[in-house]
Amino acid sequence: MSENTVRNWLVLAGIVFCLAFCLFPFIYMLVISLSTRADFLSQRASFKFTLDNFNAVLTDGSLHFPDYLRNSFLISLASAFFCVVIASLAAYAITRLQFPGRMSLLFFALAVSMFPQIGLVGYLFKFMTRLGWINTYQALVLPYTAWILPLSLWILVSYFSQIPRELDKAALVDGCTYRQILCKVILPVAAPGVLSVFLLSFIFAFNEFMFALMLTTDYRARTVPVGIALFQGLHGQTPWGNIMAASVVTTLPIVILTLVFQRHIMAGLTRGAVKG
Amino acid sequence: MKVELTDITKEFTSLRGRVVALDDISIKIDEGEFFVLLGPSGCGKSTLLNLIAGLEKPTAGRIQFDDKVVADTDRRIFLTPKERNVAFVFQSYALYPHLDVFENIAFPLRIARIEKAEIKKAVEQAAATLEITDLLAVRPAELSGGQRQRVAIARAIVRKPNVFLLDEPLSNLDARLRIAMRAEIKNLQDKLGITTVYVTHDQVEAMGLGDRIAVLNRGKIEQIGTPESLYEKPAGIFVAQFIGSPPMNIIDASIIKADGKLCVVLGNQKLVIPSEKIREIEGLKENHFILGLRPEHITINPPDNAQMLTATIHSVESLGRETAVYLDVDGLAITALCDREGMGKGRQVRVRIHLDKMHIFKGER
Ligand SMILES: Nc1ncnc2c1ncn2[C@@H]1O[C@H](COP(=O)(O)OP(=O)(O)OP(=O)(O)O)[C@@H](O)[C@H]1O
Ligand SMILES: [Mg+2]
Repeated sequence: MSENTVRNWLVLAGIVFCLAFCLFPFIYMLVISLSTRADFLSQRASFKFTLDNFNAVLTDGSLHFPDYLRNSFLISLASAFFCVVIASLAAYAITRLQFPGRMSLLFFALAVSMFPQIGLVGYLFKFMTRLGWINTYQALVLPYTAWILPLSLWILVSYFSQIPRELDKAALVDGCTYRQILCKVILPVAAPGVLSVFLLSFIFAFNEFMFALMLTTDYRARTVPVGIALFQGLHGQTPWGNIMAASVVTTLPIVILTLVFQRHIMAGLTRGAVKG
Repeated sequence: MKVELTDITKEFTSLRGRVVALDDISIKIDEGEFFVLLGPSGCGKSTLLNLIAGLEKPTAGRIQFDDKVVADTDRRIFLTPKERNVAFVFQSYALYPHLDVFENIAFPLRIARIEKAEIKKAVEQAAATLEITDLLAVRPAELSGGQRQRVAIARAIVRKPNVFLLDEPLSNLDARLRIAMRAEIKNLQDKLGITTVYVTHDQVEAMGLGDRIAVLNRGKIEQIGTPESLYEKPAGIFVAQFIGSPPMNIIDASIIKADGKLCVVLGNQKLVIPSEKIREIEGLKENHFILGLRPEHITINPPDNAQMLTATIHSVESLGRETAVYLDVDGLAITALCDREGMGKGRQVRVRIHLDKMHIFKGER
């Protein structure tokens, strides 16, 4: 065997190990969701294939899983939408207008995003109670938008600042108003960035747990991560099969989104840090 | 459309403090004129163009299009680029990367909400004028530099602007294409008859294109005039050296009287001043001045026997049709243009200086 072949084999082995290490929980999740018994790894039980878990999760009204899924989608969509709108307006102002404190504003946003969630949640609960918003969509959309906004802003600022100023000037000469410049030139030119911000915001909101746990009380606004976590209380024992089936159903759209748009997301995250 | 700038000043405040980009500039540009702004990098050419377009506000001064005031700091008037109806061609072309060529050219019309059929007609006509009809479906990224340039110009002419502004539109092109496009722009402007302001730092381009040229330096106008007048009668050392290639020789010279005749001293040698220039020399208050002499007004080893200097050939550079010879006259560096062979480096030559063609500048360099 030549040196090259050895090296290739070693690299391959490394990749397989890493993949297995990362994917093991997911594979375990998938297997359990398709198994009749969660404890099939013990000697007393053996693996038997079944779709009962999925069936239960998707159709059993008492589990409310479809409700959670719908809530999650709508809340995440709304959060991502508001994030993109607000972040693009802010990024446009920061990159195009000469006002004092532009940079400090950006760093302030970054600092705010470092705030631990747990430090906010108590106050948020009081706030939402006062507004009478507990267990409504807006109780989650509002904090999600605020929480994801700094990252969105940073990504869009780095995208917008790479669009040459001459393009703005050309649009201005061609008769655009500032709003038209944003809508007809800047946003379309930065479309990959806008898309990646949308997807990232969506995924962040979709995965969020703590706010959703504190600010919702039942299936009318509860999101999937909280819903799954609270499955266990419903019956006497922990319904591992149902939990895993629900997790698979929830993970799938995110995985698909990420696979389809991974290039945009990566570009969005590394834009400005890496050239090209 | 006539364009008139009156006492225009533009200051920027930036991290390095206040920068005066334009200092009290007044220019009148005639209807249908091809007007060139020429100057070195950073002299304020683009700033001036942006002020005419309405992309920047002047710090002080007034701008008029015919009788319409488009900017006046005293009366607080400022019209946007849209209201001024100007067209702008940028150095980087600034094509919209997400639109194809047709939509790029149509963009200003779409913003103006013109009817679809009319847009199609106008775009096709502009495309035909610039011979880019076969490129209409292509995205800008797939175009060559020259093609992008044409698209940018097509976008500028498609809506019949009052004034046509071009900011170094050819500087990203290779030499051959630049010459071809230069001729095309000139033809197009002749045909359309739109008042045009063209910015360049290339004096050859300026001389070839301009009906008149304004030479800018550090935010001030050095001289405004036709290409010929700038070449023949430069108002100062800056213009004299900026226009013409190789540039004019600028030599510190002093005047002495020898045998009852006024002479110029160059290095250790002296030349009698010809009668045409006596009056001008006598008008000088001091006995030294700055002598400007174009390289083509120096002859090396002439056949006749008029008064000569002796010089050493320092180096020789072929320019194709002509040869630039760098001479050393007692330590003074002088460039001459000649068309003859046999200019060996280090050789001693006799040099005839056509003092009747010299330019006399007062003051210091
Ligand atoms: N937005 C700005 N803020 C601060 N200073 C500026 C700004 N724009 C231009 N300047 C300064 O004004 C001066 C003139 O700039 P301008 O762009 O008009 O030069 P230019 O003649 O077009 O040069 P070039 O040939 O390199 O394009 C320069 O000193 C420049 O640094
Ligand atoms: Mg410029």
